Amino acid sequence: MSSSKTKNDWNDESTSEISVTLLPLSTEQTPSVLEMVQGPGAPRNYELHRPEYIVGRSVECDLPINSTDLSRRHVTLRRLPSGQFNLVDLQSRNGVFVNGVKVHSAVLHDGDSVQLGSVLFIFHEGRASS
Amino acid sequence: MTFIVQFWGTRGSIPTPGHLTKRYGGNTSCVELRCDDTLFICDGGTGLRELGADLLTRGHKTITGHFFYSHTHWDHIQGFPFFTPAYIPQNTFHVYGTAEGDRRTYELLSGQMRSDYFPVDFGELRSNIVASHLDGGTRTIDGVAVTVFEQHHPGRSWAYSFVKDGHKVVYATDNEIDLTLPDPARVVADPIAPRAIPDAFRRFCHGADLLISDAQYFDDEYTKKVGWGHPRATTVVDLALQAEVKQVALFHHDPMHGDVDVDRKIALCKERAARTNPQLQVFGAREGLSLRIG
Repeated sequence: MSSSKTKNDWNDESTSEISVTLLPLSTEQTPSVLEMVQGPGAPRNYELHRPEYIVGRSVECDLPINSTDLSRRHVTLRRLPSGQFNLVDLQSRNGVFVNGVKVHSAVLHDGDSVQLGSVLFIFHEGRASS
Repeated sequence: MTFIVQFWGTRGSIPTPGHLTKRYGGNTSCVELRCDDTLFICDGGTGLRELGADLLTRGHKTITGHFFYSHTHWDHIQGFPFFTPAYIPQNTFHVYGTAEGDRRTYELLSGQMRSDYFPVDFGELRSNIVASHLDGGTRTIDGVAVTVFEQHHPGRSWAYSFVKDGHKVVYATDNEIDLTLPDPARVVADPIAPRAIPDAFRRFCHGADLLISDAQYFDDEYTKKVGWGHPRATTVVDLALQAEVKQVALFHHDPMHGDVDVDRKIALCKERAARTNPQLQVFGAREGLSLRIG
């Protein structure tokens, strides 16, 4: 057997040094978004940065919507420890519909439709930083 | 009077965590039913762990709950050892048998905590766990009439109805309705034709504001799984139509089904319902969803 090293010598335990370029690992945090697709001012996006929002007709709400279909305080959106948002109907007059189902509460997922009276939103789930 | 119904586990047979089941959830059967201050728990699959954690955040000094188990197959009992409120002395939980002397569920719950299976013995649970029972098939608990119905499932299973002030919720999982149909061959020959649901079960479900029903299989899957104890989802639609229920939650999703498959199953069922009664609300039960009835 020859002692000279060849490229495919399986017995050669030496390692060549190379330069490694790391692929970018995104740690970017993107907020969840409530996209109003139907309603006053639509189209419009509401970015959800805070842990809790109250949506309703009252100007005192975190997300005031100027529509008489909505109760003054219609629904709350609260961030769970998992980072997901839980929506709870505040005993509104016209109810809350998620994907067409009248709900008391729902943990929202990407693409869910949320209807409050004639106002329609699409929920876009954000990405939390690790 | 209001029933609040919350889904904590909607998966059938075995937990299925992962991104493919994120929307409908991977925990096995567990449904919370609250009527004013009374807590009913239907099945104790792995979803029960999260219900337990949530109960502890609600600020109650003591918790009293009433457990109704469809049956004691693994996916319906595995959450119980991880149900934290059961470890707290001031809490009380009633585990109901279907009739006086029926302690089968209570004993299997304790049996799954033998040291061969779990490090904490049932006897070490510090809450008061009471083996209770329905009286001749019915019992009224804090004004809610609970009635049992025996279903069709290997090893037996039971559905429960909860009625108060004219409002009714039915929990009916692990029930191979298709094996009770009078003419099963006709379903294969003409899958579009309505399937006659036996009177007794139709009456049991009749007029429910919400029917939560096992709806595990697509039609083509079912033919390979006859006798496994679960129905065609489309047969459940016919049950809901013939029983004149207001809304039906398709439940006990097959562990082989990802969210996309469940979406497709729901779409097929909605289409079937709309041919007869567009008013029937058909939806897929999913973790984290709650409904107000009444």
